[in-house]
Amino acid sequence: MAIIETFDLSRNFGKTTAVEDVTLAVEAGEVLGFLGPNGAGKTTTIRMLAGMIAPTKGHAIVAGHRTDRDVEQLHEVVGMLTQTPGLYDRLSARRNLEYFASFYPSIESQSQVEKYLKLIGLWKRCNDKVGTFSKGMKQRLALARALVHEPKVLFLDEPTAGLDPEAAGEVRQLIRTLREEGRTIFLSTHNLNEAEMLCNRIAVIHTRLLALDTPEQLRRRFFRRQIIVQLEALDAEVMEVVKKLPFVQDVREEGNQLVLELADSEHNRPELVKAIVEAGGRVIGVSEKQYPLEEVYLRLIREENQNES
Amino acid sequence: MSRRHIRNILLKEWVLLFTDLNSAFIITLLPLLIVGQAILYIWLAFRFAGESMLTAQVFQTALQKLVEAMPAVAQLPGEEQLLVLLLSQFNFVLLLIPTMIAMSVATFSIVDEKLSGSLEALLATPVKTWELLLGKALAGAIPAILMTWISGGVLLLVVSAVGWGDLSGFVVTARWFLTLFLLTPAVAILSFMLGVAGSSRAKDARSAQIVALLIIFPVFALIGVQITGIVWFTPSLILVLALAVGIAAFAMLRAAVRLFRRESIVVQWR
Repeated sequence: MAIIETFDLSRNFGKTTAVEDVTLAVEAGEVLGFLGPNGAGKTTTIRMLAGMIAPTKGHAIVAGHRTDRDVEQLHEVVGMLTQTPGLYDRLSARRNLEYFASFYPSIESQSQVEKYLKLIGLWKRCNDKVGTFSKGMKQRLALARALVHEPKVLFLDEPTAGLDPEAAGEVRQLIRTLREEGRTIFLSTHNLNEAEMLCNRIAVIHTRLLALDTPEQLRRRFFRRQIIVQLEALDAEVMEVVKKLPFVQDVREEGNQLVLELADSEHNRPELVKAIVEAGGRVIGVSEKQYPLEEVYLRLIREENQNES
Repeated sequence: MSRRHIRNILLKEWVLLFTDLNSAFIITLLPLLIVGQAILYIWLAFRFAGESMLTAQVFQTALQKLVEAMPAVAQLPGEEQLLVLLLSQFNFVLLLIPTMIAMSVATFSIVDEKLSGSLEALLATPVKTWELLLGKALAGAIPAILMTWISGGVLLLVVSAVGWGDLSGFVVTARWFLTLFLLTPAVAILSFMLGVAGSSRAKDARSAQIVALLIIFPVFALIGVQITGIVWFTPSLILVLALAVGIAAFAMLRAAVRLFRRESIVVQWR
């Protein structure tokens, strides 16, 4: 069941269109990666979904609430991590969380604060002032703030931007934990590896929604599946046999490797290996060629730029 | 729920206020500085310009109004009548305390949160705009009111200490109490509402301070109008004034809520 649904969601700022006709649905328990270049409308979309700004056209429903009408009810069931942690440096970590938790009447703030300080690994420093924390610690605390009222949907706007690799890794680990708990997360990011690691599906936006699918399906949209057979040595006889196989649609040599496109990449593999071995080939390994998501992303953006020009 | 939200904002603001050395300094020392300066000026004026002041037409008119309001003053020698006139301005001088604290503290309240990014996080919670603004205004107004009352007490002690204690019976009247306990809270809340409203619209604290300045001029005008004898503020006039300022404070809260543009704040401050 969709917990986030948008219908032609659009937003203009004066004459500039930030988001145009975005229609998508996110299932409960899903982690959706929201990718796009700077100025593509990621933050604007998140803000509209979190009821912070209103759309100029279209609408969205999040956790059963219209984001442009039921703003107060919406704010009780969504959590938002903004680009900057936005914490009070002169207050302790605990006091920061208590303050934000106090605006939600349905929770027992003390136990929730303790639970999330422990989850983010800051329990031992709960009485320290936030001003003494590192950037990564602040970001984890901001994530705890977004979670403290147990939101049904969590919006994360570039949660690892500006963090060093170690701190970014800690934040990602937290998001992974939340994913395992079955939370619905709408994750805006620039980091394609991060998106692939953490998300069930990926949406690519460049003012308009360019694509929305699983990382695997997005790859297939641009690249055919290719099988790589690593051989001890590649000779002409093996090549001849492989070329004659009826399910081999394309084959080429790359050193001691064969790069093949098969009619059915899953089911033709055993027959392929058998034929190579019978032809005297010594197989070291069989794998599938992995195209980085980055290539898919860049193609999508390039195509969109060409369409625009 | 609203009361709980406002209380939470109040408590958080107080922690931030009193852990910031500058704000704590302004709230605790500024009132004493204002009182000290006022007493010094009166002492200097009385000591070195008393006679010329007595003969000045402007003070003659004011003294006439004072005697009309308090016939017992007529029994005092001329110099003491002048002193009573000058000391009677203190009830309005004390009004400068909440206005100046508001100008220094309230004007930072929203701007600071915009700059740190905490305001966007706060606006993502179910807090209502009026709760936020009222909480912030009260967080500054309550200490400012308390400091004004304390300053009033300190003032009376100093007046006695410099040997004018016999005259305090002419100063601590119904006017004094009405100003302190009705007009001061109303002025404080209005000043802080103005400061917070200015802060929510301004791009920096300095611009917000210009808005808050609006309240200081009327206070100076009150002092000027009374000391020159244009109007003598009787208890009933002060009551009306307090009521008017109270209504203005309420209207200011409503205006501040309308002026508080959540979208602009979220979009423009990143």
